[in-house]
Amino acid sequence: MSRLITRRGALLTGAATIAAPFVITSPGFGQTGPIKIAGLVSLTGSGSPFGPNSRVAHQAVVDQVNAAGGLLGRKIEYLAEDDQTNAEAGVRATRKLIDVDKVSAIMSVWASAVGSAVVPLCWENKVMLLGISAADSIALLPHQGYFVRTQPHTELQGKEFARFALAQGAKNLYLIMPQTPFTETVFKAIRDTVEPKGVKVQSTIIDGKKTSFRSEIDEMVRATPDLFMMGGYQAENIVMAKDLFRANFKGKVMGFAYGMTAAFIDGAGKDAAEGMYAVAEPSPAGGSSAYAALKALVKRDTLDTYICQAYDHANLVILSMAKGKDASGTGVRDNIRKIANNDSAMKVDNALDGLKALADGKEIKYAGASGPCKFSDIGNIIEVAFRTTQIKDGKLVEVKI
Amino acid sequence: MTSYLIAMATFASIYAILALGLNVMWGMAGMVNLGIVGFYAFGAYISALLTVNAHAPIALGFLAAMIGTAAMGALVTLGIMRLRDDYLAIVTLGFAEVVRIVAENEIWLTRGTDGISGIPQPLKHLLGADFNLAYLIFCLVIVALTLFVLERVRTSPFGRVLRAIREDAQVAAFAGKDVLKFKVKAFALGGALAGLAGALYAHYTSYIVPEIYVPLLTIYIFLALTAGGIGNNFGAVIGAFVVVFFLESTRFLIGVVPWLSAEQLAALREFLVGLGLLLVLYARPRGLMPEPLPRLAGPS
Amino acid sequence: MLEKTLQLSLNGLMAGAVLAVPAIGLTMIYAVLRFVNFSVAAHMAVGAYAGYMLNAWLKFSAWLAVVGAFVAAGAAGIASDHVALRPLRGYSALTIAIASIALNLMIESTIRFFFGGSPRDYAIPLRRDWTFGFLHVGPQQVENAAIALIAMALLFVFMMLTITGKAMRAVADNPMLADSKGIDPDRMARLAVGIGMGLAGIGGMLVGLDTSIDPLVGFRAILSVFAAAVVGGLGSVPGAVIGGLAIGLSEELSLLALPATYKSAIGFLAILVVLTFRPRGLLGAKTA
Repeated sequence: MSRLITRRGALLTGAATIAAPFVITSPGFGQTGPIKIAGLVSLTGSGSPFGPNSRVAHQAVVDQVNAAGGLLGRKIEYLAEDDQTNAEAGVRATRKLIDVDKVSAIMSVWASAVGSAVVPLCWENKVMLLGISAADSIALLPHQGYFVRTQPHTELQGKEFARFALAQGAKNLYLIMPQTPFTETVFKAIRDTVEPKGVKVQSTIIDGKKTSFRSEIDEMVRATPDLFMMGGYQAENIVMAKDLFRANFKGKVMGFAYGMTAAFIDGAGKDAAEGMYAVAEPSPAGGSSAYAALKALVKRDTLDTYICQAYDHANLVILSMAKGKDASGTGVRDNIRKIANNDSAMKVDNALDGLKALADGKEIKYAGASGPCKFSDIGNIIEVAFRTTQIKDGKLVEVKI
Repeated sequence: MTSYLIAMATFASIYAILALGLNVMWGMAGMVNLGIVGFYAFGAYISALLTVNAHAPIALGFLAAMIGTAAMGALVTLGIMRLRDDYLAIVTLGFAEVVRIVAENEIWLTRGTDGISGIPQPLKHLLGADFNLAYLIFCLVIVALTLFVLERVRTSPFGRVLRAIREDAQVAAFAGKDVLKFKVKAFALGGALAGLAGALYAHYTSYIVPEIYVPLLTIYIFLALTAGGIGNNFGAVIGAFVVVFFLESTRFLIGVVPWLSAEQLAALREFLVGLGLLLVLYARPRGLMPEPLPRLAGPS
Repeated sequence: MLEKTLQLSLNGLMAGAVLAVPAIGLTMIYAVLRFVNFSVAAHMAVGAYAGYMLNAWLKFSAWLAVVGAFVAAGAAGIASDHVALRPLRGYSALTIAIASIALNLMIESTIRFFFGGSPRDYAIPLRRDWTFGFLHVGPQQVENAAIALIAMALLFVFMMLTITGKAMRAVADNPMLADSKGIDPDRMARLAVGIGMGLAGIGGMLVGLDTSIDPLVGFRAILSVFAAAVVGGLGSVPGAVIGGLAIGLSEELSLLALPATYKSAIGFLAILVVLTFRPRGLLGAKTA
């Protein structure tokens, strides 16, 4: 034992010398300081249209709770770092959050690649990671419970697309998606479901970094599908939707709800977006009081699924800490299912109500703006309720299928 | 805090080896390589695939990464040897992008944009929490070894010929030197170092994905080398540490300019990287440490 | 198959005409200043955003906004060159090229600072394609190609018929001789940068008119733009036009043989093929 300590001491001395030019004075908080939670969001790079929203939602929840007296008698301090939509930059940012700021939870990582890169750091340092990234592989890593996500994993989303296609009576389906970690899973889930029912499926993976997809759209139009899946993020969808309008495409169009936002309608224009379906949006269970509360909290008319999930992350983390009276990452891990999966308990949809109920000694079940927020053992969302919206006169209107 | 410093010093060491590799190609042989990040990616993927898919020992992964990228460097030189500097800059930049695109799309081999996770970390199970510190020391030893070897190379007849080729390839050829052979060797050596850096990164973070290997990373390495002093090996190492220090310290800007939004701060950080490179180029086009030239070298 | 090939060729030519405009900008700056200016990408974005402000905020027509894009990107080009790159004249072309990469990052992040990262859209109505038999083409594509052609024609007239244009060609052909004839090299440099970056700005706006814009609008196109300039031969304006069309065509026609995900790699392949046979590009100067 003593030998081990000596060795570690020697190593540390060596490292300290080497690291000397890096020393930055940090205030250093003890157990009595504020509770620190963080957002790892994309502010630059291809995720930059989404990251700022997550930050706004996190900050709003934290401000709300602090104004009502804080958590476990302490203030909550919120920090955000930019992952530059890049795995390496994400690792460096996470290092800073974990090592310097000593945060207990990191919320709303968006890019699947960043999620995969930082999840080992989180479980090794006992920090909770909450994701909005969809790649199925992340949850399969040995994360010891330190990872949950509110974004339905992609197989579920693929099945939802298939269900929608069958409900629409599609006979000839054409799928276009950019190359992402989940493109193949989504395609496979759709094919496996609809092809046995006699639906013809064709698919193309596009280079999302190009400025125009005109020829790819031409090729699709030539195949005259009755249902087209426009599977990009909003930037790619804006470009494709314009080309669909120009080519006077007559078939129905469906896309991921995350790519068919209000910003998408603005960008593509009302005419081009008219009639398109936004599919596989995780929807608030049992009414949408959380949704309405978030709208009021961030003062916005429309919300995309990411801002809803970011809001849920902040609420989940705060309530888990309160439930276990433990503000550490392990505390969040051990208690998150006690407030998220407890179906028989009193339903709450925001942190303030939940904190009050917990203080009164009640059991709670958090159901959020993005859905029921119920997690499986490996951290995937279960029992997701999807909703479908259609763009009518420039607005997303919920439709029944 | 200590573990943060250890992690950042590890990143800086990896950047240092990249900068040393670039210094062999650009500083010593005078061939610019805006695609250094492509070599870095290639090395990372070789080692990751060998150790994850074929369960090869990590040491073999490192070795294969170096040999593979050296071969790639030699091959690339044959492709670009007739090109002038201006063309070279664009072609090498495009080369790195193609490496990334292939890694993104050949999913059967590279697992595509999902990336490769679970890359083995050497002695992780034995070292436990000491792994990070031990790995830093390992990286620093490799940096020191590389420095030692490159200093020998620089002062050797080989290094002198490279410098002669850099200053005037025609004169060197006239003096009976096989210019192409020397260039191929220099690119292979520089490539091997970039591949080594790639393997070091892969086995440190245990996860790689094509989107890591973007042109911005090449800019960081150029910033490191120009800050340190093109042609100077010690400068390249110091430059890499300065760059990581600079990148990380801009995070703490938020305390200085609280009135800016997070988005604006992120943009400001990128702006400062550009400004830093520009200022370094103005202040000392030869960097912090000038290239040490042998006394007998003629006027350049 | 024939139908598809013809349609792809048509799309390729339209895209190529747009691509040629910033490629000419790059090649002009190279011809006079002898370095590859990587900040063309950022100046494309400057033009796109200047056009956006004129068109979407001040309600100017798209055609007028294109002129604004030229002026704004040109002015930004002259200013940024004067402040950032001119102090390095005299150093190697490579040093200046690397400085231009730094400059590119600074300009792009400045745009991001003020406009954020979300995509933005011009205030122009979407129009349906025109159909001719089995071929179809969008009015916006045709307009874009027309704007590109007009810009090229004006440049041609300027270079061939005006005294300043002739002087600029003289500097490009032989700087020493031009100097001895009393042509002010600094003035020519400013002019080349102004026109070159102005053209890049037009290119950025044309890309945006067809799709949408964000701070990386130029960056996404830049590999193709470089490929166009290199394939045509750095320093040759007619080369950039041919290169632009060739890259536009081959990127679209590649869909016949390669997965669409490899589109970004086509420019590089074209560079390799052409440079293997002609190390200075199709129309590149033998000397210099």
